[in-house]
Amino acid sequence: MALYSQPPMSYTQEPTTAPVEHRFNPYSDNGGSILAIAGKDFSVIAGDTRQSEGYSIQTRYARKVWQLNDKAVLATNGFAADGTNFVKRVKQRLEWYEHAHHKPMGLKSIARMIQTMLYGKRFFPYYVYNILGGIEEDGTGAVYSFDPVGSYEREACRGAGAAQSLIQPFLDNQIYFKNQQPEAGSEKFVPGNLPLSTVLSLVVDSFTSATERHIEVGDGLEIYVVMQKGRSADDLLDEKKLAPGLKVEELGALGEGEGERTFLVRQSLKRD
Amino acid sequence: MWKQPAPANSSFNDYNTFPLPQTQRGQSSHAHGPVGHTQQPLVTGTSVLGLKFDKGVMIAADNLASYGSLARFRDIQRLHPLGKHTLLGVAGDMSDFQWLKKELDALLREEDALALSDSHPSLSPKNIYELLSNLFYARRSKMNPVWNAVLVGGWDKVKEESFLAYVDLLGTTYTAPTLATGFGAHLAQPLLREAFEAKAGINGDGPLLTQEEAEKVLDDSMKVLFYRDARSINKYQIATITAEGVSISDSKSSDTYWKFAEGLRGYGAQTQ
Amino acid sequence: MTSIGTGYDLSVSTYSPDGRLFQVEYAHKAVEAAGVAIGLRCKDGVILGVERLLHSKLLVKGANRRIASLDEHIGLASAGLLADGKHLARRGREEASSFRENYNSPVTVQILSDRISAYLQAYTCYGSVRPFGLSSIVGGVDKTGPKLFCIEPSGVYYGYRAVAVGKGKALAKTELEKIVNKNLESGTEGGLTVREAIDEVARIIYLVHDDNKDKDFELEMTWICEESGNKHALVPEDLLKSAEEKAKAALEEGMEED
Repeated sequence: MALYSQPPMSYTQEPTTAPVEHRFNPYSDNGGSILAIAGKDFSVIAGDTRQSEGYSIQTRYARKVWQLNDKAVLATNGFAADGTNFVKRVKQRLEWYEHAHHKPMGLKSIARMIQTMLYGKRFFPYYVYNILGGIEEDGTGAVYSFDPVGSYEREACRGAGAAQSLIQPFLDNQIYFKNQQPEAGSEKFVPGNLPLSTVLSLVVDSFTSATERHIEVGDGLEIYVVMQKGRSADDLLDEKKLAPGLKVEELGALGEGEGERTFLVRQSLKRD
Repeated sequence: MWKQPAPANSSFNDYNTFPLPQTQRGQSSHAHGPVGHTQQPLVTGTSVLGLKFDKGVMIAADNLASYGSLARFRDIQRLHPLGKHTLLGVAGDMSDFQWLKKELDALLREEDALALSDSHPSLSPKNIYELLSNLFYARRSKMNPVWNAVLVGGWDKVKEESFLAYVDLLGTTYTAPTLATGFGAHLAQPLLREAFEAKAGINGDGPLLTQEEAEKVLDDSMKVLFYRDARSINKYQIATITAEGVSISDSKSSDTYWKFAEGLRGYGAQTQ
Repeated sequence: MTSIGTGYDLSVSTYSPDGRLFQVEYAHKAVEAAGVAIGLRCKDGVILGVERLLHSKLLVKGANRRIASLDEHIGLASAGLLADGKHLARRGREEASSFRENYNSPVTVQILSDRISAYLQAYTCYGSVRPFGLSSIVGGVDKTGPKLFCIEPSGVYYGYRAVAVGKGKALAKTELEKIVNKNLESGTEGGLTVREAIDEVARIIYLVHDDNKDKDFELEMTWICEESGNKHALVPEDLLKSAEEKAKAALEEGMEED
């Protein structure tokens, strides 16, 4: 063992106490949660409005969900400064696209563009989890979810942010019917076919529950609903069918208006 | 709230009672040699408070610029007017603040000069805030932050309403009817919110505080900050921005009560 | 135009045998075609006025100004090529701003005029450039009091009590001389007040304007004085209006006398 009787020189020369390095940390976590669910002919994209840092609430109303065009809505979550600036860039790219091609960018193209933009900053990432929802060119409701560096996929639903771990299992159970058995003789469950009223209830329940158990979620809820062209909006506009406390407004067409309609549903959440 | 200037090595001066001139600036382990970027704040200002009232908005900050724990400059102003209807309240590094003042003053002077020839409207509080946000985010993205937290208060002449918003070294932005930076976010913000909501309600749709009420809340909050924030001083100013323009008060002091201290063990003359 | 065809007028970097720079002289011609610009130094401030000729009835009222601000306290009225004037104003603003940056104090009218003139002069030295087709009046109030300068295309500049450039400057100058002489004789060396000078400048511009030959014009006036907060600003609408009316009345009177 003579070989190991003394530690190697390089090891002994290592300083025992390293000088503390004060390096600027360009990121922060601003909490909150977002969620999107695709239906057959609609898509729902939601987020709470609290913005926080540590135990402090910075504001009770900050936007996390953004209407991009008449068929796409983007939700961002993570580092708020990156979020707002990323959305700003996405909107600018969409405007350039419209100038060049005289039509709004399709949903799947926006999704691919977002991947490129996120990966473009692979080595200094936007610290943001994105969920894109809207109507696909074939008229179906769609949800795309992204990680901060651009990995993405189309899904039937996705929750993200501070309360992802609370929301996603609930969605897996209610949207993907995980751990559920159809009654004997009844039809097989197929994800992505729930009616809008059911989806809205799931979204509201997700957020009220997350508000109860997660300190970073609360204050207000904004739910964007994008509908396929020609679809009746009666299920949303009839107040009697809507849960109490929900307020609906239709957002006018941003572009030429090809028939898709976007609605904004608001609800307050607990502020404690 | 702001980080203490870093000791040259951690075993020296554990209590951070004074900052060291020989701080580690831009030292990196790169083979390319030192990089002149990331800084740390040296001379700093502490909390800034902001509060909307029925006829405008008020911003308060004390007159101290600290060098670590040394109360270095005790008569500096941290409220800076920009044009007729905008005012900045600045916390954080005071040299960055001075640089910011110089740049913005030059910009506004140029805007003023150009206005004579092409009679375009002057920069609104919102315009100045957007510019600051873009500047702060761009600098943090270059890993060379402007080491401040800023409250922008103003009067929007077009909408005829007050403006109050926050931006900091990370490019984080938000707006709320009451705002506070640093220690103020912990100690004063709850007082401000309580006073604001007592009249306006939690949705802010009731009557707002009057000018006298708002000033009283700020006076109380500044007193609390002086009692509990070791980097504060009992000398502060309040700026009021209304449709009539910006006015900055003379420096004033809170009435403080220290009698209780005599009975505290370890505070007064007792030795045992 | 004896210079034409001699070849000495092709480059600004070539003197003629008798020591002239023809390109610089041609630049003066560009100035003479422009509407008159007047500067008047008063005891309590400075007034700038221009006769802005309207080449089209479609132009928006009050637009396309020929007087620019260089700093809070300094204005520049130029006669000549409009685009050159805009470029020079921009350069002037940069100089004024850089002076503030370096010395943390507002630039004096004298120093700013000196820097602008140095810039103009450089355009008389190289074959690759043309001189500015501009005569510019720089006026302002600084810590040394009200000051007025005029810079010519050659880069030369002089300080004035009163100055006029552009079309009809000769007539304007004789009128200005009358005012200045009257002040000298009556021992009010400082001259008129800015309030009084507004009417005088308006009167002279209306007098110089030739209704038969010239196109329509708009009167453009700025001042720097205590009333404007020692800032370079437009002369208030009501003062301008009344000055214009008095000027028109004075013209009528003059015609009746003839």
